[in-house]
Amino acid sequence: MSPEKIVILGTILIWRSMTAVINIRFNSCHSHLLHVDSSWTIEKVKEQIAAEEGVSPNDIRIIFAGRELQNSTAIREIDLGLHSVLHVIQGRKRNLSLQVETDCERGQGEVPETEKEQSTPLNHYYIFCKNECKKVCAGKLRVRCSKCKQGSFRLEQEPSCWDDVLKPGRIMGVCEEKDCSGDTAEFFFKCANHSSTEDESSVVLYLIKANTRNVECITCLAICDPVLVFPCLEGHSMCLDCFRIYCQTKLNDRDFIQHPELGYTLPCPAGCDNSLINEVHHFRILGDDQYDRYQRFSTEECLLQMGGVLCPQPGCGAGLLPEDEQQRRIECATPQGCGFIFCRRCFQAFHQGDCDQRLMDTASTTGYSVDPARAERARWERLSKDTIGKTTKPCPQCNVPVEKAGGCMHMQCTRCKLDWCWLCHSPWSRECMGNHWFG
Amino acid sequence: MASMEKRLQKELQALLRDPPLGVTVDSDKTSRSLSEWTVDLEGAPGTLYQGEKFQLAFKFGPRYPFESPQVIFTGSNIPVHPHVYSNGHICLSILTDDWSPALSVQSVCLSIVSMLSSCKEKKRPPDNSIYVKTCSKNPKNTKWWYHDDTV
Repeated sequence: MSPEKIVILGTILIWRSMTAVINIRFNSCHSHLLHVDSSWTIEKVKEQIAAEEGVSPNDIRIIFAGRELQNSTAIREIDLGLHSVLHVIQGRKRNLSLQVETDCERGQGEVPETEKEQSTPLNHYYIFCKNECKKVCAGKLRVRCSKCKQGSFRLEQEPSCWDDVLKPGRIMGVCEEKDCSGDTAEFFFKCANHSSTEDESSVVLYLIKANTRNVECITCLAICDPVLVFPCLEGHSMCLDCFRIYCQTKLNDRDFIQHPELGYTLPCPAGCDNSLINEVHHFRILGDDQYDRYQRFSTEECLLQMGGVLCPQPGCGAGLLPEDEQQRRIECATPQGCGFIFCRRCFQAFHQGDCDQRLMDTASTTGYSVDPARAERARWERLSKDTIGKTTKPCPQCNVPVEKAGGCMHMQCTRCKLDWCWLCHSPWSRECMGNHWFG
Repeated sequence: MASMEKRLQKELQALLRDPPLGVTVDSDKTSRSLSEWTVDLEGAPGTLYQGEKFQLAFKFGPRYPFESPQVIFTGSNIPVHPHVYSNGHICLSILTDDWSPALSVQSVCLSIVSMLSSCKEKKRPPDNSIYVKTCSKNPKNTKWWYHDDTV
């Protein structure tokens, strides 16, 4: 490869009218660029490569995205896209002798095979490009050998549904690499907007689809492209702008659902059954800052569900999973934690004896010598604690302070959803309704 | 903001073109400002509210439809119903906790008509007098407790 050609790879690797530059990888050992005309057939491409490599054109075969390209195929007929790599193999074809599993589970939808064959738009896969573009981009489906990770892999059968592509070990084939006995295909996705290294891949956002059916967004009622299709039976669709605001609103209300298998997720806004988003990378659409927040909430909810606690020290909030669930004394161990030792029931500094019932409050500072500067700051915290103590009561189940701004005695904890009585400080009952519902 | 206006524009067109039975948008009042609508409701035939006419006032914030509209009964006739306070506030879960951006003005109106239709005895909520004296002007500031879906 000459230095001049290396410059071309980095800068003007684009389709210009009828000509194109293709990256050729020869025998998986070296690469070079080839200028081609989109009207050329594969036979013509082979002749060019053979001349450059000093081999016979009949001796080489070209593999792209798991398929061997036929001599009669024209370059423009294959969905080459930008920055694609053609794998050129020298030598005889290896035989396929393997049986292939063909069952496809329902649920994740079919790979839009017919739509893939239409001329425009060619792209039907979307990924979140977190490295360069930092947004949802068109994606390219690529295949490699699961063993040696080389792209010179020929599929025995094409994938026919998302499960074939997303679950490992379902599609078999032959690795054309010398000395590799790999027989299992591994699919991955790349961003179509820029060239990327061989091992750089992105998670495919398979609920995002090109809006080939001109479906209205369930929220803004406009017809946008692409759309996110919820996994409900109806397949309700939402444009990506609305999806971002929908997620943001639900995140602000901390109204996501913590599902034991699917993670921290959202259902279809129409309230359909079985409509939870089952690949949480879709929430990447929130953007980096909000996705960080999403991940923090998600971790916290998961930890609480597992019986863990969060360190109550301001600015800490570390997640702790005490081994002994009965243990009341909890230490936010350093160096990961802040060193605060607290009571599991009242979330104040650890103390002997019963928790203080008034808000289960009062920082029991006895036994500590307090730094004067910290004491100054603590006065403010003290004030706000007093305010909280006066206007709120802790939820009888999870202890979160609940403010009663008006209305009846019937409270519902916004965090753990317990229905409780403000007056009795116990779960809401028929008796509460009869005796002091709103008195 | 743009998404809110576009969506309201489309909802308004659809409601004017093809209004559900007993629901009429007051287009004169509504066209003045897209963020505040007045909708006339009629009590459904065969129910306690047959022949009665009511008016709903909708207020939409800039985050509509991701956040619910504020909806209250207005005008001279406030329905006497166990979930409707005499100041027009309505205790209906889709207006706060159960709101979804997939709901619309039409679905809210139909829910309210259906809430009226299923009523068996015309009476005010048990806490009406204390609520009306102490509540905020905006019913969305009330932490509602939805105790009975059968009425």
